[in-house]
This record gives sequence, C-alpha cells and structure tokens, in this order.
Amino acid sequence: MPIFLDRIMKYYQLIGPVKTEKGVSFEYVSECDKVDLDYLGHTVLPPKKFFFPPIEEMFAYEYDETGNLRIYDFLEEVSKGMRVIVGVKPCDISSLLVLDKVFTGEYNDPYYTTRRNNTLVVGLTCNKPKEYCFCTYVGSGPSIKKGFDLLLSDLGDMYLVEVGSEKGWKLTKFNLDIFNEAENEDIKERERILLEVEEEIRKKGLPNFATIDKVLVERFLDRIWDDYSRKCLACGKCNFTCPTCRCFTISDEPNPDLKSGKRFRIWDSCHFLSFTKVASGEVFRKDRPSRFKQRIYHKFVYSINEIGSISCVGCGRCIEVCPAKINILDVLKEVIVGGKSVSAKVS
Amino acid sequence: MVENPYLPKLAKIEAIKEETVDTRTFKIKILDEKVRNSFNFTPGQFVELTVFGYGEAPFSITSSPYEHENFSITVRRMGNVTRGLFRLKEGDIIGVRGPFGRGWPIEKIKGNDILIVGGGIGLAPLKPLIEYIILQRRLFNNVILFYGAKTPKDIIYKELFDIWKQYINVELTVDFAEKDWGGHSGPVTVLFKNFKLESNNIYSVQCGPPIMMHFVTRQLLSMRMEPEKIYFSLERNMKCGMGFCGKCMTGGRYVCREGPVFNYSEVKNFLETPV
Ligand SMILES: Cc1cc2nc3c(=O)[nH]c(=O)nc-3n(C[C@H](O)[C@H](O)[C@H](O)COP(=O)(O)OP(=O)(O)OC[C@H]3O[C@@H](n4cnc5c(N)ncnc54)[C@H](O)[C@@H]3O)c2cc1C
Ligand code: SF4
Ligand code: SF4
Repeated sequence: MPIFLDRIMKYYQLIGPVKTEKGVSFEYVSECDKVDLDYLGHTVLPPKKFFFPPIEEMFAYEYDETGNLRIYDFLEEVSKGMRVIVGVKPCDISSLLVLDKVFTGEYNDPYYTTRRNNTLVVGLTCNKPKEYCFCTYVGSGPSIKKGFDLLLSDLGDMYLVEVGSEKGWKLTKFNLDIFNEAENEDIKERERILLEVEEEIRKKGLPNFATIDKVLVERFLDRIWDDYSRKCLACGKCNFTCPTCRCFTISDEPNPDLKSGKRFRIWDSCHFLSFTKVASGEVFRKDRPSRFKQRIYHKFVYSINEIGSISCVGCGRCIEVCPAKINILDVLKEVIVGGKSVSAKVS
Repeated sequence: MVENPYLPKLAKIEAIKEETVDTRTFKIKILDEKVRNSFNFTPGQFVELTVFGYGEAPFSITSSPYEHENFSITVRRMGNVTRGLFRLKEGDIIGVRGPFGRGWPIEKIKGNDILIVGGGIGLAPLKPLIEYIILQRRLFNNVILFYGAKTPKDIIYKELFDIWKQYINVELTVDFAEKDWGGHSGPVTVLFKNFKLESNNIYSVQCGPPIMMHFVTRQLLSMRMEPEKIYFSLERNMKCGMGFCGKCMTGGRYVCREGPVFNYSEVKNFLETPV
C-alpha cells in the first residue's frame, strides 16, 4: 500500500488518517508511511472538514485606488489541484452522499461541490467495529456499494481493491504492476469479515429504525425531551463532530483599513440560542427541548422529505464526544419504547 | 469555474427616501446590465443585501414588479448591517444576491376577493403585490388593505395610501394614537370588527410581527376562512437564501427557499408552530 500511496502523491495531494495526540485524524500527508489504515472505527472529525471546512473564506473585497470595488472569489483557490482522500470508512462515505444531496439541487453550493469534484475517495472497510458504531442499523455500513472511487479491504497480507468509478479505475490502471487480479476467495473473505462486523454490531440489539420518523412525529411533545435537554449543555459538540451536520453562519470581517475585508462561513449549531435569533431579538427556538429536538428531528424526520432518507450514518461520534453523556441511541430507544422505564442496554 | 451564487453582484444606491425616523427606502440599480436585465422577481421575494464591511441580510423587494431599471427595499435600522446601510449615501456601492424565495400566490388569487394585512415594516413585501393588483385591477375582485403601525409616525409609504385608496379599500390603525389622529386605534385586529367573510372566494395575505400574524390567522380561522387561503410571509434568521445554511428551517422546511410565503394549511401540521 505505501508504494501505491507514494505514487498517488506524485499527482495528487494526499489526505489520510494519521495518529495525533487527540486520536486518529484526517490530515494532509506528505509522507505516506504516516497514513494509518489500521485505525479502529472513526476519526475524531469526519472527512467533511475537507469538503466543508469549519471556517471557510468565501471571498474578499477591496476598494482599489480608483475607488472601484473588486471582489476576489476564493473559489478560484478551491478549484486548483486534485486530491485523494484515503481510508474513508463506509459510514463516512455515506455521509458524503448525504451532503451531496443537501448541497445540490435547485442551487449548488460551489465551495462544496468543487471540492467534491476535485477529490477522489478511496474507502476502507472495517475489520472490527468500535464501541459506539451502529452503521448496520441505519444502512450505511459495514458494506458499501457506492460513493467511492476505490474501496480497500484489509485481508491481512494484502488489500482487496474494488473499483467504484472511472476515476478510480484510472488510478489503478497506471499502477497495474502493483496489483494482482482478485480471486473469488478474496472477495469471499471480505464478505466473511464484513458479516462478522455486522454480527458484532447486531449484538447491540437496537430496535429497528425503519419507522423511527413516525414514532418521533407522535412523540414531539413527550416529556422525554425535557429530561434530555436538561442534561444537554448546548455545547454543539454533537453537531461539530457529526459527518452530516452542515449548518453554518456567514460573517464579514473588515480589515482595519476599512477598505477591504473578507466574508467567511463558519460551522454553526442548532443547539445555540443565537441560531434562530432575528434582529428584533426574537428567538424561534428559545427553550432547550426545542433546540435539542431540532438535531434529532432533522436527522430522523425532516431529512426523509429533504433527501429521501434519514441523515444519521451511525458513526457514533456524537455519543463519544458528548460531555453530558447523552447517547442518541438511548434517546431513540426511549422514544420507540415510550417512557423512562427502559434501562439503557446499549453500551 | 462554476457560477458562485454566494457572490454579491455590485449595485449602486440610486436614491434614499426617509420613511420614518428609523426606516428608509433605498432605490437600487444593479451595475452589470446583463445581471440587471435578468433580475425578475415575484412580489414577496427577497434579496440578500451586502453592505461591504458589515455583512449581509435579507430584505423584501418592495418596488413594483413593473419597474425594470431599479428595484427598492425598505429597511428598518436594527443592528449591524442595517446600521451600516444607513451610513451610506446615494451613489455608494452595495452587493445584491437573489431574488430568493417563493412569493405571493398571484395566479391563485386572481379573480378573488383579497384581504391584505400588514403590520409595521411588514407592508414592504406587500407593496409590490398591491401595485401589481392596482395595475391589473380588473383581474381581481374586492381588495381590502388593513395596515397597522405603532404610531402615526411609524406609518411607511404615507404618500401612497391616497393613491391606493382610489383602487382598493384601505383601513389604517395605530397602536398608540396621537391627538390629531382621526382614525382607528388598537392592533390590526380591531379592523376586523366591521369585516365579514361574504364568500369563499377570498384569499388573505399578511406580513407583520409574529404576534400580529398569530392573531390575524386565528381571527381568519375563526371566521372560517379556508386554511389554504390564508397566506403569510415568515421571518427567520437566514444567511444563504438557498436552503444550505440550515438556519431558517422551521418544521423541516426551509423558509428561504420553500417560503418565505406559506399558507396555513402547509404549516398547520409542522411540528414546530410557525405562526
Ligand atoms: C425574508 C425576509 C425578509 C425581510 N424583509 C425585510 C424588509 O423588507 N425590511 C426590513 O427592514 N427588514 C426585513 N427583514 C429583516 C431583516 O433581515 C433584519 O432586520 C436584518 O437582518 C437585521 O440585520 P442587522 O445586521 O442590522 O441586525 P443584527 O441584529 O445586527 O443582525 C441580525 C442577525 O445577526 C444575528 N445576531 C445579532 N446579534 C447577535 C448576537 N448577539 N448573538 C448572535 N447572533 C446575533 C441575528 O441572529 C440575526 O441573524 C427581512 C427578513 C427576512 C427573513
Ligand atoms: S454534545 Fe451533548 S451536551 Fe453538547 S449539545 Fe450535543 S447533546 Fe448537548
Ligand atoms: S447523529 Fe451521531 S451517530 Fe449519527 S451520523 Fe451524526 S455523529 Fe454519527
């Protein structure tokens, strides 16, 4: 694999999972042996940050000497160069497919779509789930059928590589000397591993989320929400680590000369009071339950109308990072069973 | 490179008119001729306006849809962006994106009676509709405008009411009357005292503070107006205008792209109560 990555780096900027103090993180890599393809579960932040960065400069403006206003579009920077991101897990691949639907349609978000078009996705299937993984229950893994240019599976002494697109095929075509034709057994071995992962995740015994939207609609005014929102610190960590959360705010920063400045967008959180504040001072989601619910109802109810599916991909990041130890699976289980009497069996 | 809908198109402030102490109407001309010519809007739509150095905010287009060289917005001074805008002079450069959103249902309301209810600056998105109706007067039946403002001094478009009265019925009220105010006083709902629903062929359109729209909607429902004929324009925090930033989402719908105009039957099953 290092040889392949090394060759990729000759033509593309490489992004991959690397070990950091805070855990495994997707970063630009300059030495391919830093790439950690053995990481368990998910990275700290999802690959989203390479398509939709936490802070993004959109454009700059400046009055020139003649007093004319000029705008410099940072999209021009974004359009330069091609990238390959390696080691993207199925849940995160699925999340990119969610974002694709959100950021296109009647309008297209050019900052996001340009980066998507500039970047090849080399996926990586899991050999083991992590503590909070639940992809199986939301249909985003551990097998994945689309959303990658190449898909790697670690079979111990080698990687099985599935080609998912024309672009992916080109990557392998020029490197055929380091590939061998896959045997049927290799494919079967991958299936066996994925089945094992799936069975491991199934042991969590979660309820079926297929009709969760209908149940949620019925329970919008349930007491459950008061209990959870009282615990919630409204810190927004669950939004910022979620691979499908994408709300943002737009802000301007003038330079001290007052003749130039920049506009940028920044990740925002529906848990923040300011999120729905209008200039009159009115806040449309003032009480905490309404804000706590917005994330969950967007993911599991509103998304169905918006993109045709729920928008949680079961990565478990929000469970792992929540300082109040709020587990979205506990919440959903409680909603389904309806009442606080259920003890949380989910780890 | 792909078209970037986030980039404001440069425009010039052609004229500024004082409406009230804190409200002004800005006449705006988009600089680029091609962009200017392709700028077509439906009454009820809005633009995202950039005041360079301050930021961007949504404002309803308030000029007649028959005006082509320029368009206007009426702005109340509130915070950062609007204060920045109030510092500008005629001839200064601003940025415009849009028009965005879904406007008033003009085709649907043709041939019907129309009750227009506005509160305060909420008259701004209704003005292009009123002007459209007046220019196409024969396409509409009885048209009534109820408008409420805080005090007589807060009434916007003062000079237009006498013109409008020649074509449609106009009733004004103010929350706090002053000595020489001869008209109604109290919230807009007081104007409903003498108002009867005479047929089913009536639509209502409204824009104003949330509390006004709440009570007017309840009033109309209690008079048995059909929910799908009660239209209003919602104000939400919105940044992009295209359904991306997520801030305006209400009951799972993007107010910027799917609204800001909705009818009551569309929103009555929203989990979050929008009016
Ligand atoms: C569809 C639509 C049409 C509109 N039409 C009109 C119109 O025709 N005329 C008109 O006058 N107004 C109109 N408005 C309202 C107008 O957009 C606001 O008055 C305007 O955004 C105020 O901007 P500002 O920067 O001056 O105010 P500010 O209060 O400075 O900024 C408003 C924005 O900044 C955020 N904000 C402000 N302070 C804080 C804080 N302390 N913490 C966090 N966030 C903060 C708010 O969330 C809000 O989004 C319309 C709004 C909408 C949605
Ligand atoms: S991470 Fe936990 S505490 Fe923070 S906003 Fe999300 S649910 Fe609330
Ligand atoms: S809601 Fe939680 S588990 Fe679902 S995709 Fe977002 S971070 Fe992952």
